[in-house]
Amino acid sequence: MRSPALAIAWEFRQRHRWGLLAVGGYLLVLAVFKFAILEPGQPVSLDDAESFALAVVLPLTVACLYFLVVFSFGLSGDLAARPSLYPARMFTLPVTTTALAGWPMLYGSAAMAGLWLATRLLGVWPPHVDIPWAWPTLLAAVLLGWTQALTWMPYGLPGLRVIVTVLWLVVVDTIVLLALHVKASEAVMLAILSPQVPLAYLAARSAVARARRGDVPDWRGALARLGRIASVLPRRRTRFPSAARAQAWFEWRIHGRSLPVWVVILLPFELALLFVAGTDVPSLVVYTLFGVLLTPPFMAAFSVPRVRQSNRQVSDGYGMAPFTATRPLASAALIAAKLRMSVWSTLATWLLVVIAIPIGLTLSGTWPVVIERSRQLSDAIGTPRAVVLGLLVVSGLIASTWKQLVQSLYVGLSGREWLIRSSTCLTLAVLIFIEPIVQWIRASSYVRVALWNALPWMLAVLVVVKISAAAWVATRLYRSRLLSDRALVTGAAGWLVAVLALYGVLVWLVAGPLIPRYFLALLAILAIPLARLSAAPLALAWNRHR
Amino acid sequence: MGGSTVSESVITVSELTRRFGAKTALASVSLSIPRGAVYGLVGANGAGKTTLIKHILGLLRAESGSVRVFGLDPVADPVGVLSRVGYLSEDHDLPGWMRVDELTSYSRAFYPAWDDAYAEELRQAFALDSTARISNLSKGEKARLGLLIALAYRPELLVLDEPSTGLDPVVRRDILDAIMRTIADEGRTVLFSSHLLDEVERVADHVTMIHHGRIVLSAPLAAIRESHRVGDRIPSLDEIFVTYVGMPAAPAPDA
Repeated sequence: MRSPALAIAWEFRQRHRWGLLAVGGYLLVLAVFKFAILEPGQPVSLDDAESFALAVVLPLTVACLYFLVVFSFGLSGDLAARPSLYPARMFTLPVTTTALAGWPMLYGSAAMAGLWLATRLLGVWPPHVDIPWAWPTLLAAVLLGWTQALTWMPYGLPGLRVIVTVLWLVVVDTIVLLALHVKASEAVMLAILSPQVPLAYLAARSAVARARRGDVPDWRGALARLGRIASVLPRRRTRFPSAARAQAWFEWRIHGRSLPVWVVILLPFELALLFVAGTDVPSLVVYTLFGVLLTPPFMAAFSVPRVRQSNRQVSDGYGMAPFTATRPLASAALIAAKLRMSVWSTLATWLLVVIAIPIGLTLSGTWPVVIERSRQLSDAIGTPRAVVLGLLVVSGLIASTWKQLVQSLYVGLSGREWLIRSSTCLTLAVLIFIEPIVQWIRASSYVRVALWNALPWMLAVLVVVKISAAAWVATRLYRSRLLSDRALVTGAAGWLVAVLALYGVLVWLVAGPLIPRYFLALLAILAIPLARLSAAPLALAWNRHR
Repeated sequence: MGGSTVSESVITVSELTRRFGAKTALASVSLSIPRGAVYGLVGANGAGKTTLIKHILGLLRAESGSVRVFGLDPVADPVGVLSRVGYLSEDHDLPGWMRVDELTSYSRAFYPAWDDAYAEELRQAFALDSTARISNLSKGEKARLGLLIALAYRPELLVLDEPSTGLDPVVRRDILDAIMRTIADEGRTVLFSSHLLDEVERVADHVTMIHHGRIVLSAPLAAIRESHRVGDRIPSLDEIFVTYVGMPAAPAPDA
């Protein structure tokens, strides 16, 4: 390599070759589909919105997000840290700051623009819709430029980077959407977007220059007063009564607060919809409350605690930190601390939700809608059942939040990069494909009938898989002596009691001629976590003793 | 420790082999460290010192062969082993979000023998601010804090994995002093890995040289010196190392 520009390009290509190949492969598939499979000259018609979303919009969005992450060096740094996300190792290269900022921006902008142009050219677009060429190309470059500038900027507080970047990108998007809403011409769109490219570049160059000279502001001192207030809560000045309590505190400080914080950030935006709805749109009030109630379990899926390196410079990124691994605690006790922390985290989150909802309803004046809907439910199924149903829904959501936090614990605790990445890919794939699959099921009565008929068998197969996995895990736990016999028996008995209790409630609530009891029993067995939760000590031991 | 004799082995490693992919990190390593010994483990970077120490701590599982510490398998009984071991790694891996007093408070919960007075004495000797956040400490201060945590419960076995690497002479002196203090407590054992051979020479009474995963020399330091005597001249450990390994263990320290 004869120039820094080529060296930087080589690094992007070499490090992300598989992702870039995947994007290239997707574009190749589009090209083959359009030019080889579809008859040449035949007008392309695509009226099915779901197919279009699946074939074009979704991959395009995923590829754009991937490019944003790759070209802002988002995979190599700590997004929440105060220092710049730009790799510090590059600051000592004999290259100007202009080049350090400029080349990644140029490559990224070219990649984003190329992605749009290729998708515009090769994608099968709905007929009679004029898909523009120029301004989306510019928008792609602008989004990347601002992402790079804002993520490379050093910040005074941890986490501030995420908030600033997301808010600014939302502002840019909102401006574009407003312009589209008023049917702005292509020229206006270009006029709005064009100045942002040099502005983003200047911001990025300034960010890299500051980072390069080690100019990282520290505003934590300004929060000292708040810190003193906060220290009353989590900071330990007294002695821990036991090692287990000490470890639970450790887990709480590392992982426990992330779920409540995420929910607190989201709640105001969600509850703001109550003010939009008022009492005029009762259905929106109900949907908003459902959304609020579903937020903790949904966010819990992204807040799963795992063993993480306290020192990113050592060993592999997913392995257990030696500091934690050398605690004189059994692996089962380390897991127990995580489970206890998950309970605290769940309760803290729901306490916030329970406080926020009445405040939102009171301030927005939408209590009457909730009272009216409650009265309707009470009239329909009777007051006792309505009350029990309400309590069950809330307690079910609380339990579901905890379940989300703990059931995938084993993946992160295993410390195996391939397992963690595979699990993440699988989750993303499910999230991506769930909506098209639901649409497919909704669209076909034949599929719905077939699924309904096969549902008991599908549930039965899942139960067999779950029980088999649990038996295998229990055998391994017994042989490895990670859990005592008493703990194993107590755990199994507790699980059985929980399943029977849930089954009893389900029978009381919904059993009837259309829903047989064995069906409810299968649901109860599947609902209570067992195999994956029990696998956590095995995964931790596998990670701790490699 | 009750009832143990001076000749009792604290660490026994038998025919330990470990591979990482195609690379053999340890090849049939056997080792026995008696109680009360100060054992220097020396070797070039990548020789297998840290791999051996990780097996002793139970962080790696023996693929073949066996490891026993205090007669216990550190993988099967991590609590039994780790509660009696003080460990300091070269990475000084401590949670940066904690404050010094939080770390001491947290650590003392795990060790019934934690000595508050001794911990405070060490904190003052090391000039550590109890309210300082660990992430704000210098590398030397982190090393001292790690040492404080490793010593404050007066462990029966002190394991130091290249603790001096990258540290200034003052901190290195603190670490050597800590080893001396531990030795002063009767019956305590030190396993000290380093490629700074002058330090090993100062404190170790037994040296094991490891090269490409194999033990190439293991004997009391005095016996090693005597056996390599050339006339009246006794070679340094560094010279002996070069004889066995074919290259220096490490560049000379700064001071």
